Amino acid sequence: MKAHNADKTCWNCPAAIFKGNVDFRACGQSKDALKKFKEDKQVMIECERRPELGHFDPSITFEECPEWQLTEYGYLLKNMRVMILGIDGYLGWSLALKLGSLGCEVSGVDNFFRRNCVEEKGSHSIVPIASMDERLQAAKEVLNIDIKFREIDILDRESLGGFMKEVKPEAIVHYGECPSAPYSMVDCDHAIKVQYNNVIGTLGLLFLMKDFVPESSLIKLGTLGEYGTPLTGRALFEGIFPSDAVITWGDREWSLGGELTPRDPVSFYHVSKVQDTFNVYEACKYWWLRSYDVMQGVIYGVYTEQVAADKRLRTRLDIDEWFGTVVNRLVAQAVLGTPLTVYGEGEQIRGFIALEDAMECMVRLISSPPEPGQYDVVNQVSGLHKVSELAEAIAGVANGEFGRSIKIQRLEDPRVEADIHPFEVVSQKLPNQFGFRPKVSLEKEITRMLELLTQPEIEERIRKVSHTIMPRTWWSGEHKETEVLEIYDPGTKILEGYQPKLITGEPEKQVLIKVKAKIPAPSRETE
Amino acid sequence: MEIMDKNFEKEVLKADIPVLVDFWASWCPPCKMVEPVVDKLEREYVGKVKIGKLNVDRNPVIASRYQIKGVPTFIIFREGKIMKREVGAKSERQLRQMIDTALEDASVENK
Repeated sequence: MKAHNADKTCWNCPAAIFKGNVDFRACGQSKDALKKFKEDKQVMIECERRPELGHFDPSITFEECPEWQLTEYGYLLKNMRVMILGIDGYLGWSLALKLGSLGCEVSGVDNFFRRNCVEEKGSHSIVPIASMDERLQAAKEVLNIDIKFREIDILDRESLGGFMKEVKPEAIVHYGECPSAPYSMVDCDHAIKVQYNNVIGTLGLLFLMKDFVPESSLIKLGTLGEYGTPLTGRALFEGIFPSDAVITWGDREWSLGGELTPRDPVSFYHVSKVQDTFNVYEACKYWWLRSYDVMQGVIYGVYTEQVAADKRLRTRLDIDEWFGTVVNRLVAQAVLGTPLTVYGEGEQIRGFIALEDAMECMVRLISSPPEPGQYDVVNQVSGLHKVSELAEAIAGVANGEFGRSIKIQRLEDPRVEADIHPFEVVSQKLPNQFGFRPKVSLEKEITRMLELLTQPEIEERIRKVSHTIMPRTWWSGEHKETEVLEIYDPGTKILEGYQPKLITGEPEKQVLIKVKAKIPAPSRETE
Repeated sequence: MEIMDKNFEKEVLKADIPVLVDFWASWCPPCKMVEPVVDKLEREYVGKVKIGKLNVDRNPVIASRYQIKGVPTFIIFREGKIMKREVGAKSERQLRQMIDTALEDASVENK
């Protein structure tokens, strides 16, 4: 079978520098721009990696080009220069090692925002992590990977720009954002801190890319939470309406194809991600930057081949109410033997993906860059689960293989959210355009996590910060404990809400989706 | 089919049946999303209407000749002349309507 990106061409390649007779401004911008085309000239490129070829037609495929080499994740640009913003984080560090092990030249920046915020909560990564110096040294010793690191705050555009000019990244992965909804809801200062870092940091990055590396692709991390949970049950498309979605009003009809789908963020953090989406979308439109906006499901787990290779290479794992995502938090509770906490009815449905699978998705996206100006959205998820079902699954593994006797407790929901709602997610692009197939089941990763987290040293570290797990940050602005509504044994709870639906099939198999405006049509057109 | 600067004359202007050209660009989300519909109609109208796609950035000569200023632009050509031109994403029903109307007009003219 052909690799997913075998037929991509120079048009997708960050090494292709356009030379003459191509101007993406020509269309949709100005009539005058059209005049400068020379009818007798063809579009030509020069290869930044092989300038000796001179100018040529940009039609060489990845399969044909010797600079692109076949890997298990498709063709990958030889020694591809990838810069990771937020390289010290849970995902940034895991991805750095994975890319390095595939032969990429990895560079990265971090200002240790995450380490500091978790410390602010009075918590720590329960998996002990080495200092950046030790990490870099271990990467070299154990995996023979050289990572170029700079301590830079992405808001410091001068330093970041200087580093970008030096490295000339061919792809940039943007993990340099504060990823916590509760942290953004603590108070005004925290909300501003999150939005300023995320929105202004990303906006500055877009300008730097325009100025220094316009051929590079931006892999921007968003979240499925940008879409919210529409109570109508409308499918959550991949950011952009498909062509067969139409809006009807009275007897008239318009295609919604290509328009951004509605966003309904669920915290000030999620709002920052939505703002990012619009900023990235616009930058692609104005400056022909290229970007994949990745709507990530909640990531859980501890394992990739590289982080497991040495204690000093492990990635962080947080369990506090601000930065501990639900599976990671519940597994830690299972280790402690305390009841697993779900909020409200516990029938909130979310998308999830294991760390190892998420990293594979990232590699596949990096290896198949968008075309100039292309903004695309992918929903990155391998399964949809109700929170209470996650608790059941974790309790199941803990009470089985690990001999615990864990219960589940329902707490008051400190968030403003629907705790029973329909949820249908479309995730067709990663499987069908990027060749991704999830490899890690929920149970498998829970088992790996329990194996690691029950080690005495780590169990002790969980115990030390166990007081940070329970939620105290309310969306109302209050800071107080949450009341326990019910404690029950796994397997005894009847769930009454909706069944989640994940659509991953070929796009053609989809049925017509009609969106009907609620407003009544006027009887006649008015000016 | 892919229509380019170099095959435009043969495939479009000198075609013996009407041709619908979808002028598109990689940076245009509506163009990308409408692609499956265009592909579907291409298969369906075989023999009656030729349907092709032309990337405006890769084929600037034709794009500038026809003053394509917004994408997607759909143009139906017949015997080298423009029969119909519409801009913006279309639903499947609207595209069908555009093609069918052009076919009807063509058959009226022929009578």
